[in-house]
Amino acid sequence: MLSVQGLSKRFGGVHAANAVNLRVEAGEILAVIGPNGAGKSTLLNLLSGLLRPDEGRIEFLGETITQAPPEVRAWKGLGRAFQIVQPFPEMTVWENLLVGALYGKPNTPARVAERVVEEVIELTGLTPKAQTLAGELTLLEDKRLELARALCTRPKLLLLDEVMAGLRPSEALEAVELVRRIRNSGVTVLFIEHLMPVVRALADRVVVMDYGQVIAEGPYDLVASNPKVREAYLGRAS
Amino acid sequence: MILVGLLLLVALVLPGLPLGEWRAFLLDTAQFAFLISALALAWDLLARTGQLSLAHGAFFGLGAYAAALTAPALGTLPALLVGGVVAGASSLFLGLATLRLHGMYFAIATLAFSEVMRTLVLKAPFTGGAIGLPVQPAFGGAFPLGGYYLAVGVLALAAGTSLLVSRSRLHYAMAATRQGEAVARVLGVPVVRVKLLAFMISAFLAGLAGGVYAMKTLFLSPYDAFGLGRAVEALVIPIFGGLYTTTGPLLGGLIIVSLETWLRLRIGEGYLVVYGVILVLTILFLPKGLVSLFRRKGVGHA
Amino acid sequence: MELLLQTIINGILAAGIYALVASGLALAVGVVGIVNFAHGEFTMIGAFIAYLLFVSTGLDPFLSLGLAALVLFMVGAITYLGLIRPVLAAPELNQMLLTFGLSVALQNIALLVFGADTRVVSTSYQGATLALGGLSFGVPPLLAFALSVVILGALYGFLDRTRLGLAVRAVAQNRLAPGLLGIETQRVYLLAFGLSAALAGVAGVMLSVMLYASPTVGFAYTLKAFAIIVMAGLGNLRGVVPAAITLAMAEALVSTYVPGGGGWVEAVFFLVIFVTLTWRSWRAA
Repeated sequence: MLSVQGLSKRFGGVHAANAVNLRVEAGEILAVIGPNGAGKSTLLNLLSGLLRPDEGRIEFLGETITQAPPEVRAWKGLGRAFQIVQPFPEMTVWENLLVGALYGKPNTPARVAERVVEEVIELTGLTPKAQTLAGELTLLEDKRLELARALCTRPKLLLLDEVMAGLRPSEALEAVELVRRIRNSGVTVLFIEHLMPVVRALADRVVVMDYGQVIAEGPYDLVASNPKVREAYLGRAS
Repeated sequence: MILVGLLLLVALVLPGLPLGEWRAFLLDTAQFAFLISALALAWDLLARTGQLSLAHGAFFGLGAYAAALTAPALGTLPALLVGGVVAGASSLFLGLATLRLHGMYFAIATLAFSEVMRTLVLKAPFTGGAIGLPVQPAFGGAFPLGGYYLAVGVLALAAGTSLLVSRSRLHYAMAATRQGEAVARVLGVPVVRVKLLAFMISAFLAGLAGGVYAMKTLFLSPYDAFGLGRAVEALVIPIFGGLYTTTGPLLGGLIIVSLETWLRLRIGEGYLVVYGVILVLTILFLPKGLVSLFRRKGVGHA
Repeated sequence: MELLLQTIINGILAAGIYALVASGLALAVGVVGIVNFAHGEFTMIGAFIAYLLFVSTGLDPFLSLGLAALVLFMVGAITYLGLIRPVLAAPELNQMLLTFGLSVALQNIALLVFGADTRVVSTSYQGATLALGGLSFGVPPLLAFALSVVILGALYGFLDRTRLGLAVRAVAQNRLAPGLLGIETQRVYLLAFGLSAALAGVAGVMLSVMLYASPTVGFAYTLKAFAIIVMAGLGNLRGVVPAAITLAMAEALVSTYVPGGGGWVEAVFFLVIFVTLTWRSWRAA
């Protein structure tokens, strides 16, 4: 579904992404993990088009999108939820979602868009908050909105950037359930996560990054026991 | 919506009312107020994408000069159209150059653009330079109320566009662009197109208003047509009336221009002080503008 | 050759005042995080203070510098407390608009009080020049330049050597979310904004001798100062002086060498702002 070859991005002298190779298969849930500053968020910004790579290629559904602007990637089916929630604060929850539904695919008729919003708002449990201004939501609601808005663009591949960060364990559990439901509805998921229990519970496959490079990949248990991964995490924990 | 229609209706029948000895003055003031309100509505359309421009004095001035220079050859209505198009075209250039500027950088860049435009008009060989440019009245003076009704027409067009945009999907694209540009793009909003479109519509309307203004004052000078005062009016009125609305700039325009006219009569130069003071007071005490007084919660569109 | 040398010297002399005004604005931007559109109006007030003192008491403008600095410090402090502090937590644009409103208001109040005329402080040495090997130096620009150097030296000394100066720089480098402002930070803001206005005022006094006092004399300086701090990089106080010299030199060269230069100086300078801003924005992407 998504294939990344030799993707590199430098900021000054720092390699935030260094020759990253990555494949995402249709229907899977892929976790990208790694210590702080490993280049995970840069990778997501490169994938969603907010950053342009210095080198490398991104292919999505058989098309090269390396230079495509973010909105074109959205139209092709690449959705993204941000780590730091960024709702449109002066719009209601409903209007926030409507933006995604109206513009996520070109020329969506208003009627269709509204039906999409109805479905998503139900799925994400935001129905009671539909008419609340997004600026007045709690953190949990904000996170849901972030996810819901990305869903409204009707993505084929959803990029999630630490959507569980800051949630209480019970809330995280709910979110895990939600992501599963999203996958079961036919959406492929790539997510960045710090909480290992969440990774373990959700991921079919795990990719580990460090210093802008992929240092390991495979099923959770295999990756967790990889000495390189342990070193990356433990070596800097102190 | 109802208020907007009512105001336009009053504007239409105003010349027929028994206004007494103040008639000429009142109609003249009203015409000026309509044009400045149209300018404010145009400014607000661009502001909806988060771009607070100080270039609207320049769009107004470009429209005024373009219409004044082409009117003898083309006739009134086509010349006005040329004015709008010239302003719109210049805005496309400005919009492209400033696509990645935000906040104060954008404001300063647009201000710099206006000053460069003013100097160009001042130095160009065909504009009358610093001496100024005499302008023919609308329709060669054949209809005494021609200019007045042109102003009503421009105001109706600006208000209509503003209402239409509020009710279209563009409303969401603009609001999303304003409230979070990067997020908007990731959600599929074609931000570049939205910004440029807003720029062109906005500048076109400002240029139209400028053209009618030229045919009203019958004389243009770069200092008047491109003055910072116009840019200040275009910006203060929507903020005072209520940003991102149609009623706000319309109501604000009528109130402030009336105040301005009264002050002009009393104190002459320095009348712009009202804009400065109103801007400061609005930001401090009524950040959502006049219209927020009439609405229980300031949800952003009307 | 001599003409070129003279032009360069004129440019450098003009840079002194530019650097003063721009350092003030850079303080406000760097520390308080506000682009003060009314900065040039503080300069204008300084010019009028010098003018009024001169016509009423005959006080030499260069002697009224201290008083002007003090008054403008107060004006700055009052502006900060009354207008800026209430909107520190508001969106950045509101802050910008507020100072823009203040600028328009001050300009037009001055217009109401003094009229649009330009008023020159005509000191005995106003037209005096020093000749040095074929080059001539106007006495007032020379004095203003020397004073600017001294004042800027004192400013940098204050920022580098004193505890308070260190606090100012610390705040500039590490701006906190407005909600988290401690009392210490508030005090630094107040000080920085007052200093900023005082620098503008001092520059205004010099302007009253070299140019004139008028209600609109300051606005162009807001923009010039903005151009300078954009060139220097926002919040970078050290870059202000070289940037001021660059801009002043460019203006001097244009007015000497471009035919009919006078009218084009402004346009060239606005073009510089426009190009600098847009070029940076595209390169940064």
